[in-house]
Amino acid sequence: MDTIKLYLHSMRMLIKSQLQYPASFFMQTLAQLVMEGGEMLAVILLVDRFERLNQWGPGDLYFFFGMMSVTFYLTECFGRGITGNFPYLIRTGQLDSYLLRPRGLLTQVLCSAVDPRRITCIAVGVAALILGSSLSAIQWTAVKVLLLIEAIACGCALVLGLFVIEAIFCIYSVKSVELVNAITYGGRSACQYPIDTYPRPLRVLFTVLAPFALTLHVPGSMILDKPLFGWPLWAAFVSPLSGFVAFGVIFLVFRRAMRHYRSTGS
Amino acid sequence: MKAYLSVFRLRRRLETQYRGAVLGGVICQMFFGIILIAIYRALYAGKPQEYPFSQIASYVWLQQAFFRMLLASDPDLLDKIRTGGIAYDLCRPLSLYGFYYVRVLAQKMMGSLLRAVPMLVFAVLLPEGWGLSAPASAAGFCWALAGLLLGLLCVSAMENITMGFTMRTLDSRGMQGLMNLLMMILAGNVLPLTLFPDSWQKVITLLPYAQMLDAPIRLYTGQTLPAEAPRILLIQAAWILILTGAGMFFWNRNQKRIVIQGG
Repeated sequence: MDTIKLYLHSMRMLIKSQLQYPASFFMQTLAQLVMEGGEMLAVILLVDRFERLNQWGPGDLYFFFGMMSVTFYLTECFGRGITGNFPYLIRTGQLDSYLLRPRGLLTQVLCSAVDPRRITCIAVGVAALILGSSLSAIQWTAVKVLLLIEAIACGCALVLGLFVIEAIFCIYSVKSVELVNAITYGGRSACQYPIDTYPRPLRVLFTVLAPFALTLHVPGSMILDKPLFGWPLWAAFVSPLSGFVAFGVIFLVFRRAMRHYRSTGS
Repeated sequence: MKAYLSVFRLRRRLETQYRGAVLGGVICQMFFGIILIAIYRALYAGKPQEYPFSQIASYVWLQQAFFRMLLASDPDLLDKIRTGGIAYDLCRPLSLYGFYYVRVLAQKMMGSLLRAVPMLVFAVLLPEGWGLSAPASAAGFCWALAGLLLGLLCVSAMENITMGFTMRTLDSRGMQGLMNLLMMILAGNVLPLTLFPDSWQKVITLLPYAQMLDAPIRLYTGQTLPAEAPRILLIQAAWILILTGAGMFFWNRNQKRIVIQGG
């Protein structure tokens, strides 16, 4: 409880400080809107030309796109400490001061940054969800709403976990490893589209190693009434939990890796 | 002229220094290329288009290989404006515009070549339908090379216009971000311009952004026939003249009202 209070307090302070330069903040927020709007435009134009992707119609594709955008940018917004400058903290030795304080390391890193500019990206995602839902004529029920919330929450945990991998590499190699981007940003780009788009190796990668398919696509397809793999409803509720499992495993590895942490600062 | 040439050489050499960092970026970019092609393949299977899929695959690989040409920019200028170091550049017996044009040109050229070579080798080795196919014709290939060179001049002139905007403010991240995004979308990096609605393409292919990579790639894949090449190159050349002229005018105006920061 105390930790949550602390987090909210830091968020308030950070947002206030970012709003000190309103013109620059506004421009950057606008740039984010154009960026995510551009991604959305790409999907719209593809739908315009090709009409469908395997068994998925236009509405379904917008819905999957929206799920991914909301998940990814919620994480980038509120988890900025981890998705943004975590490797930087390690590289510069600033992490040392965190180690001295009587709080968990990840809590502190999470409290260190927020990125309110992403709000426009989330808005684009929400718009895509609404558009997709109306085009695919989804019959919303309490169960489906619950499933959507669970999927997004688990997806956020997964994205956060994948970004921690970069921090783990950084502990050993000091330099941040761009290669991890392939699985974080690459995962986002790839899993904007349902998993059955891809050939087997990519399908395995995004189902087993970075389980975007289990956290987002399985529940998403259930909401669209076209369940992937023909899985029943309970499976759609269980499979997103893999996001938390992935986060847990990565977190344990991170804890072990921190034992090898050697400060680079002076 | 000799001075510009040596600036070019120095920048070119600087750009080849961090080869290790380049490798990580290249592997990442390859992965993105494969994902994009997988998506387009699945879409194509549902509704084949008039031109063969191998053209789309080639388009994606060439865009990925030369993406650095679009995005490489010179961070030094902004730092210099913020710290007052720009005063030194103003003392040089060179035009400020020309000095930075040559720098960014070298950076874009070397940066993209360094990445394009390993990436294109990788793309050629991929199986049919996934990788880069051979150019449509020898003539098309030669025209494409000429087009790529003009595209490089065009994108450098555009970069200097973006820089012109950022010179006016001390915090330029927003403006620069917007200009770059516009470029990524309209140059065909986010989605191949050949997949845009046909009616849009008539307009988009005339914009300066399409002259950078889209025009040479179409010459390579044969979507633009060699017979039409002179017309395409003329459009490119016209845009280079317009952008360079506008950029010079803009920079001269900026230079008159520049404030030297620091002390």
